[in-house]
Amino acid sequence: MLLSAFGLAAACSNSDHGPGEESFSDTGQGVFVLCEGNFNSGNSTLSYYNPETREVENGVFQRANDRRLGDTGQSIQLHGGVAYVAMENSGIIWGLDTATFRVRGQLTTGQTEHMINPRYIHFLSDDKAYVTDLYSPYITIFNPRTFQYVGSISTRQEASFGYNSTEQMVAWGDRVFTNCWSYSNKILVIDTRRDEVCDSIVLSSWQPKSMAMDARGKLWVITDGGYSTDEDSFSDNIPHLYRIDAATLAIELDQALDTDEANVQLATNPAGTVLYVINNDVYRMDVSASHLPVRPFIEAPRGANGRRHYLYGIGVNPRNGEIYVADAVDYRQSGVVYRYAEDGTLLHQFRVGITPNSFAFK
Amino acid sequence: MKRGLVLVGLLACSALYAQQDRQLDEVQITAHRRLKDAGVQKTVLDTAVLHQNVALSMSDILTQHSTLFIKSYGRATESTAEFRGTSPSHTQVLWNGMKINSPMLGTVDFSTIPAYFIDHANLLHGASSLTLTGGGLGGAVEMQTRPLFGQGYALQYIQGIGSFDTYDQFLRFTYGNDHWSTSTRLVYSTSDNDFKYTNYDKKVDVRDEAGNILRSYHPTERNRSGYFDDVHALQDVYYRDDHGNRFGGMLWYTHSLRGLPFLSVDYRDNVDFKNEHRQDALRSVLSWDKTFGTWNLGTRAGYVWQDIAYDYYTTRETVSTDITHSRSHSQQAYVQADADWMPTRRWLLTANLATYYNHVRSSDKSPFHIGDNYNLGRMEYNLSLSAKWRPTDRLSLSAVLCEECYKKDFVPVIPALFAEYVLYRPWGLVFKTSVARNYRYPTMDDLYFRPGGNPNLRPERGITYDGGLEGRVERERFSLSMNLSAFDSYITDWILWTPNAKGYWQPSNLRKVHNYGTEMMLSAEVRLPHAWTIGLTGNYAYTPSINKSEDLDDNDASYGKQLVYVPRHSANLSGRLTWRSWTLRYQWTHYSERFTTTSNEVSYITGRLLPYYMNDVSLEKQFQWRRVHASVKAVVGNLFDSEYVTVLSRPMAGRNFEIFLEIKPQWKRN
Repeated sequence: MLLSAFGLAAACSNSDHGPGEESFSDTGQGVFVLCEGNFNSGNSTLSYYNPETREVENGVFQRANDRRLGDTGQSIQLHGGVAYVAMENSGIIWGLDTATFRVRGQLTTGQTEHMINPRYIHFLSDDKAYVTDLYSPYITIFNPRTFQYVGSISTRQEASFGYNSTEQMVAWGDRVFTNCWSYSNKILVIDTRRDEVCDSIVLSSWQPKSMAMDARGKLWVITDGGYSTDEDSFSDNIPHLYRIDAATLAIELDQALDTDEANVQLATNPAGTVLYVINNDVYRMDVSASHLPVRPFIEAPRGANGRRHYLYGIGVNPRNGEIYVADAVDYRQSGVVYRYAEDGTLLHQFRVGITPNSFAFK
Repeated sequence: MKRGLVLVGLLACSALYAQQDRQLDEVQITAHRRLKDAGVQKTVLDTAVLHQNVALSMSDILTQHSTLFIKSYGRATESTAEFRGTSPSHTQVLWNGMKINSPMLGTVDFSTIPAYFIDHANLLHGASSLTLTGGGLGGAVEMQTRPLFGQGYALQYIQGIGSFDTYDQFLRFTYGNDHWSTSTRLVYSTSDNDFKYTNYDKKVDVRDEAGNILRSYHPTERNRSGYFDDVHALQDVYYRDDHGNRFGGMLWYTHSLRGLPFLSVDYRDNVDFKNEHRQDALRSVLSWDKTFGTWNLGTRAGYVWQDIAYDYYTTRETVSTDITHSRSHSQQAYVQADADWMPTRRWLLTANLATYYNHVRSSDKSPFHIGDNYNLGRMEYNLSLSAKWRPTDRLSLSAVLCEECYKKDFVPVIPALFAEYVLYRPWGLVFKTSVARNYRYPTMDDLYFRPGGNPNLRPERGITYDGGLEGRVERERFSLSMNLSAFDSYITDWILWTPNAKGYWQPSNLRKVHNYGTEMMLSAEVRLPHAWTIGLTGNYAYTPSINKSEDLDDNDASYGKQLVYVPRHSANLSGRLTWRSWTLRYQWTHYSERFTTTSNEVSYITGRLLPYYMNDVSLEKQFQWRRVHASVKAVVGNLFDSEYVTVLSRPMAGRNFEIFLEIKPQWKRN
């Protein structure tokens, strides 16, 4: 018996290649949840949630395509029936059919001149999109329809401690704004007609982390304030919230926030009249208000031990204003997504993959 | 498959593990029970096991010949050892008496220790580690070099040539007379390590002009950046006089340059990435031991110097950006004194005082932090007292008290009790049991690393209960030995690094873990007529390692779950069949599934790693001429060409080959 067990074990395969390609067809108005996974583990996944049925399908990219999504999924955006997913530490942007989840195409570093670690994608038209990068001092331009590389935009910035990153992008008229997060305090302004950086905004606080544009043409920016410990610091670790006029580039509001150690994120409601801020809890303010409220709009859930959950991402459904908030739990197990009504009522919560960080709404 | 089963059948019929004539004199066999080892759960790795293949590191030896779990993702990549489902920092490692755990991380990379540099190793499981040092909540590994007095001159050269442009060279010169013993060893290993594998994590779509998929396939790729270039040199000198004094000096230098393999999901083919780890280390120990009357005295002094550089950067065009740029420089000074006194044959009293001074200078650069991590020194002390008593010939009792101090903080007194009882002398059947409390104080990174280090950390606390049986039967043509133990262990205030919302990691005394299970070893050897010898040694461990921490929050589903990457079951079988100058060896290693999430989810494909089975085989032929002895050995690794990973997204090599040629000139002995 021992011998036969040994023989069997000797011949067994150690590998798990999955069940092959699974068929999906969802034409509903679902929500994609990108889960970034753990850095250097290659376990990023994509979940798909149907708000009507309240059903969630996890790992849909792998299941539909028989391949891994990659390492450290950074962001997801939808355009023209395609979901574009930037996989930072894999150096690839996937384009997926939003109904079948099958790969339509991809843009890899090898197709471009300067792309290294893609972070965010911004669509200017059906044929033109920008890609920001954590390490490259260039913004990549590609054609989202054909996945062909078009060109690149130099940030024209001197590296700060060797870093020259660009992050999120928002548009106002012919301008696209992008925040430089890593060891920087700048917002770059790109002239989309000429595809070049035409101006910049210098902030009083360091490391702008997230941006949103409201209905009045005001650019909202939140910084993480760098880091600071007893004996070591880069800046003061205090997040700041800014309101900047997109036309004049004037800073109209600069509010220091009173907490640290937070994963700060911004989002607006569909009308662009309300700003949501994650800074440990979720805050809500009218874009015409002069400061962020003291009381949170949605308090981060607390466990029986009183410990606050780690809120890691926020998204607002442009169809109905419902707010989706991601909870990373311990970053080593499946995260949780809370779905709130526009008035803050919890509608549903569901499990997704490891470290959910961003949402895209069909 | 057919060939595989034939080989398996052959091996099954001839389960191995014999010593050849030339190796018999090297094997250390303890013929009587030492009072010093009363109640101790110990696995001994002798020279025959350690020196079976010059290409093996200590991580390979521990994988193949012990119940420890080695977490590794290939040859010449970081490999750490875990006893009984604990963490690598819970394994204390001593080289010739000196603790060599990294003062920064508390771990040891066993892949940087050539097995040919170690002549004898003891694995002390659980509470038994306290007979060596404190802090081994899982156990301790004791590695020694040994003198070869009276053996004259010897020279040995081994050349290995293997798959993936792998070259292993080993040179050893020894001289030993009645008073002096000296040994010089050199190992140089280099490889491109660029094995091919089918990448099941990627798939290539072949499309027509309209964009329709015509076919898809998983591409065949090469392991990128897996190269290594390691040089090791070891010099030891011993002198003994006629008055019971023995002096020793050991000097071990390592230079290691290793690429870190790319992930299987990395698509950056054209970007020039450097992902490289460099290490230079010098370890030295001076020792004096004296035996007189009922006393054994010893003192040791040691010094370790280590430089580690880790560079992960990308270059495109003229732009070079650091993803991680890390430098650490550490120095360690060590002084130890110990005394054993055996006033009667039933009593043994021991005392041991070890003092370490560690200094670390560490800095890094990444998108999350730039600058010094810390530049600090720390004193560490360990005082251990023990009393061992054999009230009857069958019963032995032992008590150990240990006190440890780091900087100005003392851990509580560590007590341990051991007992053993001889149940049946002809079979050497002994029942052993022990109970111990243990503490491991935080590493320097835990306390001081910036950003994230937590100066308020408490020492981790453990309590362990052990019990087991050991036996050995020796006959003229047959020997059988076994060891069976069960353990129950609780660790609280386990230090866990978790990411914070800023993106960097912070340690805290978060975790509570319950480890329990069994460990078994069975070894048999049969000497048959016509110069045939067959034998088999097997190890098995069942190690549930269960998280019992308070939930982080309501969504935390990790309570009651197996720790990440810790297998519940691990087993290995190693066999040898010898006939005259021929030796056939077979090695089988198994780990059960390992979870990659704290909640043990298996709903998606990356949630677990499938059970691991590995088969290696070698065939060796020896030649003995008048002026030279030689051998030729062929090794086949991963015999059945299994496709597997041991760490997520890190594919391992398929079937691989290496041929070794060994030459040993023969001189007349004086």
